[in-house]
Amino acid sequence: MNATTQQQVFEIIAKQAKTDVASVKPDSTLKDLGIASLEAIELIFDIEEHFNINFPDQQGANFDRDTAQSLVDAVDKALADKAAGGEGAA
Amino acid sequence: MQARPLRRVVITGMGAISPLGVGAAALWQGLREGRSAIGPLRHPDAERLRVKVAAQVPASFDPAANLDERILPTLDRTSEFALHAAREAVAQSGLEFANRGLGLRTAVVVGTGVGGETTQDEQSRRLYGENAQRAHPLTIVRLMTNASASQISIAYGLRGPTFAVASACASANHAIIQAAQMIRCGMADAAVTGGTEACLTYGALRAWEAMRVLADDTCRPFSANRRGLVLGEGAAIFVLESLEHARSRGATILAELAGSGMTADASDIVMPSAEGAAAAMRQALDDAGLAPQDVDYINAHGTGTQANDVTETKAIRLAFGEHANRLAVSSTKSMHGHALGASGALELVAAIGALREGVVPPTANLDRVDPACDLDYVPNVAREMPVRAVLSNSFAFGGLNAVLALRRAP
Repeated sequence: MNATTQQQVFEIIAKQAKTDVASVKPDSTLKDLGIASLEAIELIFDIEEHFNINFPDQQGANFDRDTAQSLVDAVDKALADKAAGGEGAA
Repeated sequence: MQARPLRRVVITGMGAISPLGVGAAALWQGLREGRSAIGPLRHPDAERLRVKVAAQVPASFDPAANLDERILPTLDRTSEFALHAAREAVAQSGLEFANRGLGLRTAVVVGTGVGGETTQDEQSRRLYGENAQRAHPLTIVRLMTNASASQISIAYGLRGPTFAVASACASANHAIIQAAQMIRCGMADAAVTGGTEACLTYGALRAWEAMRVLADDTCRPFSANRRGLVLGEGAAIFVLESLEHARSRGATILAELAGSGMTADASDIVMPSAEGAAAAMRQALDDAGLAPQDVDYINAHGTGTQANDVTETKAIRLAFGEHANRLAVSSTKSMHGHALGASGALELVAAIGALREGVVPPTANLDRVDPACDLDYVPNVAREMPVRAVLSNSFAFGGLNAVLALRRAP
């Protein structure tokens, strides 16, 4: 049985935020969760490694404003691109 | 022991190897013309890398030109750059170090962020990638961080205090300040100092990619559409001496290194603080005996990242108050890229050029106003104007700030 993308991403976020996965909500921003700029870059790395994907280049600070759900959506998009042999392929 | 009176410090020689070419004149000419040396990354692994642009020393640079072929195998690219820049600087100064014991009274302080990265990367590739059983026997002498300083010392018989300074992107400014302080307090009469960096290796590029601070198009400091920094490489080396030493031999003085400021933010390992940077600028002004209104130009750190450009703008306002509105501020990294531990040295060439010629080099690629960056950044075209004094800012990861204050030659 496969955990959904959302479950997996939320678990990675919870680990980085050192919090319980239940406290990660789709509309929580990384800032809400106390994830600062450098930790956000680390979080992106952890997610990329976990799913074996590459997110498009973007400056780390922008992730401050992003929500947990937007990361899930970004993973789904990268996975779809990868399946199609496109940009997201590692 | 009686304290010696502080001496004034002047610059009498400069040399550079930069993305704008071989020689300090090539660098200054390019900056004056607003010419950007940023282009597609030249690298054997370019196809695999996500980073697409860099500011690299032209492929036509020949490290073997005019160097003793016996020392070439001992040199990492950082030392090649440093030795070439040093030769130019020493020649311009006209100093004869063998005369009257000057070699023993000359310091060498060279800043570098990481030292022999090219050597490290090559040897790691051999060991881990190709399962080689042994490293090249000159690996250590090439990669040690002090290699450039030591090679300059050996090349010119300089036997005074000689060492490397590392403070990431502020390395060159910290090094130059160390050298100047030694002259100032009488520990040395002359110094050869500056910064060098050559770290565009596969490993380092991958590490920079992962930090997500690199622009994929070009470097656009203070512009609303900026997308990050562009890595560069190169070296600039200077000859400093006490004012009386320079005058006694009738040397041509390029500029006075009038003061400096050094602070640490003591806050975040990467996010800069306006207070820390402002404190360093204030210190530099005080140390040089300059009032804010004496300064006409600031060569900004100006990396082109979201965080730096807004914070540096705030810091300049904090340090200069009302006078901030009358300052010309530009980031020459828009043209020579961010040469990390060498950047303050490349930018000192720009500061000296501005003082000597009354021309402020522009900030290239500044085409969209950012409301959070509200100073006069001299967009895209150099400006002729009287330049009496200059600050040159370097702010490093780790929260380290080093600022030089310069005046026209006395």
